Amino acid sequence: MSELTASEIAAVSPRSAVLRLPSVRPALLLLQTLAVPLAILLIWELSGRLGWIARGILPSPSAVAQGWWQWAFGHDAMGLNAYSGTWLANVAFSTKRVSQGYGLAILVGVPLGVLIGWSPVVARLVDPTVQALRPVPITAWLPFSIAIFGISAFGAIFLIALGAFYPIVVNSAHGARDVNRNLVRAASMMGASPIQMLLRVVLPSALPSICTGLRIGLGIAWTAVIVAEMIAVKSGLGYVLWDAYYIGRMDVVIADMVSIGLVGFLSDQLILLLAARLLRWKQQR
Amino acid sequence: MSAIALRQVDKIYEGGGRLVTALDHIDLDVAQGTFAAILGPSGCGKSTLLNLVAGFEAPSAGAVTVFGQTVRKPGPQRAVVFQEAALFPWLSVWDNLVFPATIAGTPKAEYEDLARELIITVGLAGFEKHWPDQLSGGMRQRVGLARALLMRPQVLLMDEPFGALDAQTRLQMQELLLSVWERYRKTIVFITHDIDEAVLLADTVHVMSARPGRMQARIDIDLPRPRSIDLLMQDRFNALRREIFSLIRGAH
Repeated sequence: MSELTASEIAAVSPRSAVLRLPSVRPALLLLQTLAVPLAILLIWELSGRLGWIARGILPSPSAVAQGWWQWAFGHDAMGLNAYSGTWLANVAFSTKRVSQGYGLAILVGVPLGVLIGWSPVVARLVDPTVQALRPVPITAWLPFSIAIFGISAFGAIFLIALGAFYPIVVNSAHGARDVNRNLVRAASMMGASPIQMLLRVVLPSALPSICTGLRIGLGIAWTAVIVAEMIAVKSGLGYVLWDAYYIGRMDVVIADMVSIGLVGFLSDQLILLLAARLLRWKQQR
Repeated sequence: MSAIALRQVDKIYEGGGRLVTALDHIDLDVAQGTFAAILGPSGCGKSTLLNLVAGFEAPSAGAVTVFGQTVRKPGPQRAVVFQEAALFPWLSVWDNLVFPATIAGTPKAEYEDLARELIITVGLAGFEKHWPDQLSGGMRQRVGLARALLMRPQVLLMDEPFGALDAQTRLQMQELLLSVWERYRKTIVFITHDIDEAVLLADTVHVMSARPGRMQARIDIDLPRPRSIDLLMQDRFNALRREIFSLIRGAH
């Protein structure tokens, strides 16, 4: 076999690189991205159709899609179905509870966290309590929550707020603690008051860390709303999830799971967008 | 009356269960409107000295006064230019520059003209909307200098402001500082470990020795003003730096 000379390689390779890259790579990338999900869907569909798994236990993707369609757009004329046409309402119920509980967690968690991180006195006063309660999982709070608030929306909001509160307060405190000493000195030589120092130096310094806390907190908020609705409330995606399981509607169960994933993903994107806006000074490097 | 006066100042730190003397019986006088360089090796406590004048730290013994007032805490009469500029990364160049004015609650009309003038003086026109992260080290330090001048301070305290810059940028910044000093005639305390820099910029060079930090000598720099970096080539300049160099060598 004869070897290519350097000039031949130089003559051939640039052109082939130019010709091949744009056409092949996007298609290949798309295929690589979709291969595994498509294979899972295919095997799942086949396993139902070929009778590998009983339909009552695991409905096929097409059956789930059908059930979801009815759940979303169904009406009474389509037959006896407790969930017909209630999808949007249940998504709205859960989203509203997450917004309320998460909002409460932010309102309390960010200021408290920044104060814990900034002021050693506040840290000594509050931090031990926060750290002592933090290892108690929100699921363990369920009976307590029902005992105090009963079967009500506020019980769910309490659990969501509590769950989201911990990562928000811990990350806010971390961010405020790590504020650059020279920035504090710079503001103090300008004559900044304690309030100005907190709002105009410590808070913006802590923002990257706060945003991390907000993101983790949102994930926990969605976990909390599902748990709370399964037990402590009679509406929302979590309630439907458990209820559909009891009456053997596994198609609705799976459609519900995918719905939770979807709204969780979308709300996470929203937080990312907000963070990108708040931290645009950081992405300019 | 001295603009800045230190009398028998000690600074002792406690570290690892033992006492470390950072500053030992320091006396220092800086006359109003003059440029004083504090020259010394690393670890001689020269930055600690500046922190005492700024009010960031308190002396263990002795008195630090600025225009007769004992320094108790940081304040806008004593503007500091930090080694790493210490700009707020979430604020644009312009917002960083006017930050001290907004902290003081000064009406816009009272600082805007000066801010615009300073932007041009330090050569940052056109960069007002940039973030600090988009600037080079030299440009960040220009913002830090302009920000300090916007405060219209009684004294300007500069903590090795050009120490982290490359040689060429440092020369540019030294020339800028010379022209800024001609224009605003502030009382300046300038910390450095660079003999050339101290001789080029200062009216008086205060030489410190390390461990413990002591004042070793005071040399008046009688080079005429206005100065430029052309001085670096002249005999008188070299004579002065040789004098200081032998002083420092004699101390070790």
